Amino acid sequence: MEQIVIKVENAQKTYRSQKEALKAVKGISFIVRGSTCFGLLGPNGAGKTSLMKMIYGASIRDNVPNSSISVFGFDPVKDELQIKYLCGVVPQTDNLDQELTVKENLLIYAKLYGINKTIANKTITDLLDFMELTDKANANIKELSGGMKRRLVISRALINKPKLLILDEPTTGLDPQVRHMLWNKLRQLKKEGITILITTHYMDEAFQLCDELIIMDQGKKVIEGTTTDLIKNNIEAYVLEIREKNNVTQLKINPDSLKDIRKEIFLNNIYLYSDNYKTLKNITDNLDSINYHLRHSNLEDIFLKTTGRYLNEIQ
Amino acid sequence: MNEPKIKKNIQEIQPIAPYPSFTLRLYAVWYRHVRVYTKHLYSNGTPPFFEPLIFLAGIGLGLNKYIHIINGIEYLQFLATGLVVSTAMFTATFECTFGTFIRLVYDKVYDGMLAASITVNDLLIGEIIWAGTKGLFFSSAVLIVMALFGIITNPLSLLSPLVGFLTGLMFSVLAMIITSYVKTINHFNFYFTGFISPMFFFSGTVFPTNELPAIALPIVEALPLTHAVRLSRGICLGNINPTIMVFDLMYAVFFIMLGGFCAIKLLKKRLIE
Repeated sequence: MEQIVIKVENAQKTYRSQKEALKAVKGISFIVRGSTCFGLLGPNGAGKTSLMKMIYGASIRDNVPNSSISVFGFDPVKDELQIKYLCGVVPQTDNLDQELTVKENLLIYAKLYGINKTIANKTITDLLDFMELTDKANANIKELSGGMKRRLVISRALINKPKLLILDEPTTGLDPQVRHMLWNKLRQLKKEGITILITTHYMDEAFQLCDELIIMDQGKKVIEGTTTDLIKNNIEAYVLEIREKNNVTQLKINPDSLKDIRKEIFLNNIYLYSDNYKTLKNITDNLDSINYHLRHSNLEDIFLKTTGRYLNEIQ
Repeated sequence: MNEPKIKKNIQEIQPIAPYPSFTLRLYAVWYRHVRVYTKHLYSNGTPPFFEPLIFLAGIGLGLNKYIHIINGIEYLQFLATGLVVSTAMFTATFECTFGTFIRLVYDKVYDGMLAASITVNDLLIGEIIWAGTKGLFFSSAVLIVMALFGIITNPLSLLSPLVGFLTGLMFSVLAMIITSYVKTINHFNFYFTGFISPMFFFSGTVFPTNELPAIALPIVEALPLTHAVRLSRGICLGNINPTIMVFDLMYAVFFIMLGGFCAIKLLKKRLIE
């Protein structure tokens, strides 16, 4: 039997201040299956974090008809403690206890789950080893680099051996080495059966980790599917990026005259999409190699296609 | 036909979640604060003992030459029995204004803790109990110093740190209510200058409240420190008036319950969106 870990139906969230009401999530539904990695993608302000917080009980969803959230069959509004007990949460900002050492941070956290000291110590040793932090066990938080802090926050989220790991932009601001290391660890956790819910605006991250994902924009779901299907069904296979519009005048072939090409202009660049590699290749014939880039399309292209290239007012 | 089947499936997959009991959760929150506080035992633990020493020196060497007896009590005794609880007021107030605000806004410690299996209520009640504990510790420090110098000698005074505990609770809930409204940390200056300092001077700590104009007495009677000072002085000096003492105790309990309810309700808004 297939296990459904998270079921979100018509979730909505409105933030009310004295002056105005801002609707951050405008009715989103999705299902996360057990032992898979599910991605919530979208630009800043799309409502990803709000949605995530509603799932683990840090935010209360709008009370509207036909709206429900279930995590392991528990409702975050009523069964906050059950859900928190089964989940590990990695928030966007590193909210570690600055006054405690690495090990103390984990020990205090274990206490919040009621884990006894012997088991906690054993788990902490394992986790520090898993996240390659053993050398830093007695370091103060201030001595840690950004990447170490992130690894510690993830270790902290794993202290209760969660069945569901929720990560909010886990690799934002980290260098490539740390990102790849974390991706590896997350894949390893998934293999061990942990379900992962992750928000990100890095398409490569989603591609590396997610089995299924949704792209959100301005509180709504724009697109959903498995990672490979999304690329196959929503975008042409290849993209030709031409920098500097002026270069177009050098082209032998006018792209507008070709049928199987979709053209997009943004700022000073031209993007030509096509399923036919040859067509695009022909266009580049008399371009300087420095002025163009012909490549496979990726999630980022879908992302930009669905959410637009321009910044919106909350980005 | 389908409906019950789906329901059954959900139940089948629902894992057990034996989250810790309310008491254990409160203990965990309290323990976090104890751990952080005792980390800097030397810098955190010695000032509570030095402060009463400074008072003793300042008053004993200076003021005591001019004032000997107040309300039939030696002035040093009068002051010392007040300081036992005013110190608890100050520490609990600092803890739940600046301390709470920093944990809430700057360090985001609460966000981190709340992702674990505790609720906002657990977090805040644990914090209030911690502030009470600090009150108890600071009261004890003053009591020890005063006993060493032979100023407070009544064995019954060993109970006065409990009044310090209650004082800590009262002022932590009050401070939390203020914290729930404060937008920038500098606003606490108004609370300290406008409320806590006058409270120290006009609640019978440094001079008897009956020296105040009659019109001010109901106001003084409404202030929490007045009751704490009266309890502490009664216990430390052994002149107990049961009626007044029960009244003061009931005031404290009522204040903590009502204030705690409001503080949690108000701060919750800043912790859960």
